[in-house]
Amino acid sequence: MTDVGNAVELVRGAKRRKKMGSRNNKRPRMMGGSGNKVKIDKKMKKLFQKRAREYNSDDDDDDGEKAPRVKKESKILVRSHEEEVGDEEFSEGEEERKDVNADVELSEDDENGEIQPGITKFTEGCRAFRAAFMSILKKNISDETLGPILSANKKLVAEKLAEEEAERKVKGEARKAKQLVGEKGHVKPATYLDSHEKFLIGVATKGVVKLFNAVNKAQHAQKGLNPSRTKDAKAINKRRKEAFFSELGKPTLSATNSNAKLNTSGGAADTEGPAWAPLRDNYMLTNSKLKDWDKMPDNMMTAAEDNGRVLEDSSSDEDD
Amino acid sequence: MARIGNKKKQRFVKPIKVKKQSEVDHVTGEKIPKSFVFSRGKLPGPLKQLQMDLRKLMLPYTALNLKEKKRNNLKDYLNVAGPMGVTHFLMLSKTETAPYLRVARTPQGPTLTFKIQEYSLAVEIAQSQLRPRCPKDLFKNPPLIVLSGFGTGDQHLKLATIMFQNIFPAIDINTVKLSTCQRIVLLNYNKDTKLIDFRHYSIRLQPVGVTRRLRKFVQNHQVPDLRSLQDVSDFVTKAGYGSESEADDEAATVTLASDLGRVNQASTKSAVKLQEIGPRLTLQLIKVEEGLCSGGIIFNEYGGEKKQDNKSDKKKAQEVASSEDEDEDMNEDESEGQEVDDED
Repeated sequence: MTDVGNAVELVRGAKRRKKMGSRNNKRPRMMGGSGNKVKIDKKMKKLFQKRAREYNSDDDDDDGEKAPRVKKESKILVRSHEEEVGDEEFSEGEEERKDVNADVELSEDDENGEIQPGITKFTEGCRAFRAAFMSILKKNISDETLGPILSANKKLVAEKLAEEEAERKVKGEARKAKQLVGEKGHVKPATYLDSHEKFLIGVATKGVVKLFNAVNKAQHAQKGLNPSRTKDAKAINKRRKEAFFSELGKPTLSATNSNAKLNTSGGAADTEGPAWAPLRDNYMLTNSKLKDWDKMPDNMMTAAEDNGRVLEDSSSDEDD
Repeated sequence: MARIGNKKKQRFVKPIKVKKQSEVDHVTGEKIPKSFVFSRGKLPGPLKQLQMDLRKLMLPYTALNLKEKKRNNLKDYLNVAGPMGVTHFLMLSKTETAPYLRVARTPQGPTLTFKIQEYSLAVEIAQSQLRPRCPKDLFKNPPLIVLSGFGTGDQHLKLATIMFQNIFPAIDINTVKLSTCQRIVLLNYNKDTKLIDFRHYSIRLQPVGVTRRLRKFVQNHQVPDLRSLQDVSDFVTKAGYGSESEADDEAATVTLASDLGRVNQASTKSAVKLQEIGPRLTLQLIKVEEGLCSGGIIFNEYGGEKKQDNKSDKKKAQEVASSEDEDEDMNEDESEGQEVDDED
């Protein structure tokens, strides 16, 4: 057995040496372009070699402790029996590998050659691991919500999780309910204009048109007169004065009058007293307008009916 | 040393002038109504947004950045309102059943309580539109207000009409500039459902009979794209798309007294176009009180018409308990208002 092993090892060693040689040949090629630049002194080379040796020897020690592994060529023959047995297997495996990975290996580092058997070893370790793993995977697991739990107090964990779930559910519901209450009455508008909205826009448009026409009518008289010029301002004032006095002449606004025109914002106060604000009894009293709102005459309501709306503007009763 | 002292003495400190907004409109001689929009109790997110929207709607005579604290009660606002000349309060509150809007006249009332059946925020309105419109000076002038369908003869509706008419400053049609009329608030009362639709639109004027191309050309100051045209005259003569039919609606056209902007000339016809700004509210008037969130109940939607001269607190409390048991927040406020009265 030992002989055979040794023989194998020798063959292997030779092979290896050969390989090493080839690799050494390749090495400069690998260095490629940088080869010219880096010039190594003999001294330095020696130093490096020494260091490398030291490094490798360290490696060896570790390996010896950890797992059986292929040593350097120089140590091959001195190795123990067990290791050789192990190596035999490796070498077989390695050869197969080499065929496949020959190209790859060529470009690899010096150290690789030594580590490689270790990799093979790892493969074996993998096998065991795989077996263990497969056994776990093959296991039938009862269909539980929690899945496999390794700890002994499976029940306790399950309970806890269920409790949490329930708690979260309750909280979520509460939040949802609160949000729902907060959103009460909140409606997202439609992207199109439905008939009701169109109707409302129509009503509003009518109101605007009415106001603008009234403004046009009132301001048309002043047209061509620039209020900033004194002459025009005088003319405007004169007209206003006339309108004012004519307004004074009327005791109250008749119902028909207010019907025909837009309603005034003043409401009750406007319809009872003179149109011009300072002439009213309750001029600038804070709450004057709403004091006797229920004693307001009916004309304003009729106006609202007639127009379908009550448009706000102040002194539409003056005609100038 | 002395010189320096002298210098210090001589230094003139310019007195800080507090620019006062005119309290009284110089033309009509009426007090300019101002408003506070605030909340009673804690509001959820969307309602806070609605409050902000309402503040924007009430611009410019409102406190846009009114800061509220939890411990502020109605009396605090009332105390501030006096010196500031605030005439109206808009209060938002919320109960389990619905949000509520109260519109009150200060300092003595009355108070209208509306239940907000539905509401949409201004943001959502803008999102629902293809081209939301918001010119820079849109909120610089108070809106017009249009009330429609309120003339049914009911007392409470009449009161609501007056309230809303006075919430914005009055317009003098002799002096008003049409360029200041940018927005409109519409309140439409539906007799059948007893609901009030509250809408807020922006007003836009477009000249009638001018092609879209020309209008855009005048508005934008940009060199038009003439690639597809054979001749320059095509630009003027060729009709645009079929959207012109909308503008031809005779009811929506006005003749302007003065030029408005670059495109709307005086003496030419212009079409009035409204675009919604939001917020959009559907309100139900449920209660009218005499005082500011207190006093006798003039109108109650649920309890029917109550006697108007109902002054005794006991009776009122009973009424409240019977008719408004769902509305806790309001009761709270009512008691608050009573407190104010007592202290006064």
